[in-house]
Amino acid sequence: MFNPLDHTGMEIDDQLRNWKELNVEPYDKMSIHPYSRSRIILMNGIEVESILFSHQFARHTDNPDVKAKLALSRRIEAQQQKAINWLSPGDETPLETTIGYEQVAIDLTAWLARNEPDPYIKQTFEFGLLEDFDHLYRYANLYELINGARAEQLTQDLTEIMPGRPTAVEHRNPVDDLRRHYDRHTVDPLSRLHVLTLVAGEQQTMNYYMNHGPDFIEPIARGLYLEIAEIEEQHVTQYESLMDPLESWFEQLVHHEYNECYLYHSFMEEETDDRLKRLWELHLDMELGQLQVACELLRTYNGIDPEEILPPALPQPTKFQENKEYVRDVLASQIDLRTDGTDYVSVDDLGNDHRSMEYMRRVNEGGVPTEDVIDQARNDGGEYRRELLGPHPVESLRQPETV
Amino acid sequence: MTIITPTRTSGARGMSINMTEVPPEATMPPTELQALAPDAGVNPAFVSDLLSAFLAHEQCGVHLYRTVAGATANPMLEAKYRDFLGDTERHVEILTRVITQLGGDPQYVSPSARLVHAMNTHLIQGVVLAAGSADELPREMAMLEAVLLAETKDHADWSFLSALCDDLPDGPTREALSTAVEEVESEEDEHVEWARKTWQRMTMMQAKSSTMMKVTDFAEKAFATVKNAVTPS
Repeated sequence: MFNPLDHTGMEIDDQLRNWKELNVEPYDKMSIHPYSRSRIILMNGIEVESILFSHQFARHTDNPDVKAKLALSRRIEAQQQKAINWLSPGDETPLETTIGYEQVAIDLTAWLARNEPDPYIKQTFEFGLLEDFDHLYRYANLYELINGARAEQLTQDLTEIMPGRPTAVEHRNPVDDLRRHYDRHTVDPLSRLHVLTLVAGEQQTMNYYMNHGPDFIEPIARGLYLEIAEIEEQHVTQYESLMDPLESWFEQLVHHEYNECYLYHSFMEEETDDRLKRLWELHLDMELGQLQVACELLRTYNGIDPEEILPPALPQPTKFQENKEYVRDVLASQIDLRTDGTDYVSVDDLGNDHRSMEYMRRVNEGGVPTEDVIDQARNDGGEYRRELLGPHPVESLRQPETV
Repeated sequence: MTIITPTRTSGARGMSINMTEVPPEATMPPTELQALAPDAGVNPAFVSDLLSAFLAHEQCGVHLYRTVAGATANPMLEAKYRDFLGDTERHVEILTRVITQLGGDPQYVSPSARLVHAMNTHLIQGVVLAAGSADELPREMAMLEAVLLAETKDHADWSFLSALCDDLPDGPTREALSTAVEEVESEEDEHVEWARKTWQRMTMMQAKSSTMMKVTDFAEKAFATVKNAVTPS
């Protein structure tokens, strides 16, 4: 039982670090455990979200006390983001980082879906899972094409690499990316943390692809990043629409800080790299101090005691672990799922004239980079897959020669 | 500080509607709403929704009074806000009791209650988040206006319950509601009347001043006026 409200944490005024402390020694990309890298990627995304949220809050605030407290906490969050993201080594290419991002997307989303108590939110996670699963397969083929390297060197076979719901059919009319939202009163505290976490993770992925896609010279790579970056925007739209928009700014701030405490506490417990474990411990201590500030703002400006809206203890921790069988089950049962507004329907029920079908035809009519990369790989010695537990569970997605 | 916000931890229940999704185990079954106040001859589902919204407004009233009591620079206003905070906390208890007596669930947060929470959240935020746009005196007035608006709605809620009681047949529902109305209605009269008169007198005082008043100039006169703002009934 760990209740963040019982811990004062590090005083916010003591949290500032110098450049030397922030300019950390990068990890070795060939020896780091894939899930240690996953935790680094996710916590970078979590800190980025905390910064962006705080900026948005500040832009809607004309209260000097609130603005000052937000600015102070935000500066510390910005330092935390640097201390985490500067762990990434310079010799890790954007494409290698991308493969790390997709491994995060798969094994994080799968874990959250497996542990998600709300059936509609769970369905939403599983729907997105199959799409991110496909992205890893497409990027892994690009990796082999332009680097001549195999993605399992990075994923270390903790995650299978094979087609998911083909990216070409993931393109939807924006209306069909909206979801119904939870109710701030009845939502399970764990569901709220799951949604906050996934929004931050997908937002970070969207930002990375939209900014790093043009780093490449190869047209096939530029096209692949372009197309998948659009799906990541769809995913941010999808996951953020699960959040109750009626929560006040101050409540949202408290939930952001609480989620950071939750994740640092989770990762501190499971981290196998001693240096990273110490970093998660330090950041937990800092977040506890930032949570105190957020709670005081909630009391002062909303008249709400934080105990009114937070659970009495942190829920079960979030973990990075293998989810191969679970992903296969979801592939086998949900590959043909689509969305119609906020509902999930079979592709057979959607109809050829549905707005998302028209949208898909429109964006795909000049060629589809995510298909082109596989075609090119097949013409260049064969496509890359890592099907570790047997043939693909969906017959239509097995390699042509093995069907 | 009393915890009054319904959450999953406290057993809150709701209803999936339009864009709001409530998990099955926290969903209020329509049959349970239909069971409210069987002796009263009213639309039970509507009254369930309505009482939940009234309770939500009282809960938000507690949050509003906590906020303005902590923010005001005027000791007299603070004392009055804290006085009304105590009343409003008791009104939450009374409405909670009434809903239970009628066979309802006070942890039910109806769709209308969600809207009430939303309106009140924006009322508070409208005051506190705009603080940098004005000096202390206009900020005090804005807080007082927020109280006036909230108390006007609160008064309307209890006036409705009083009128409803008059139309109900004799029975447990009428008895439970009447008892609650007797406990609360006079205090709601006092709250809204105090807010209206205090706002009017403070505004009038500034309107008649030959110069723009500062808080320091204003305080003593305002305190004296506010002290007599409410004529005891």
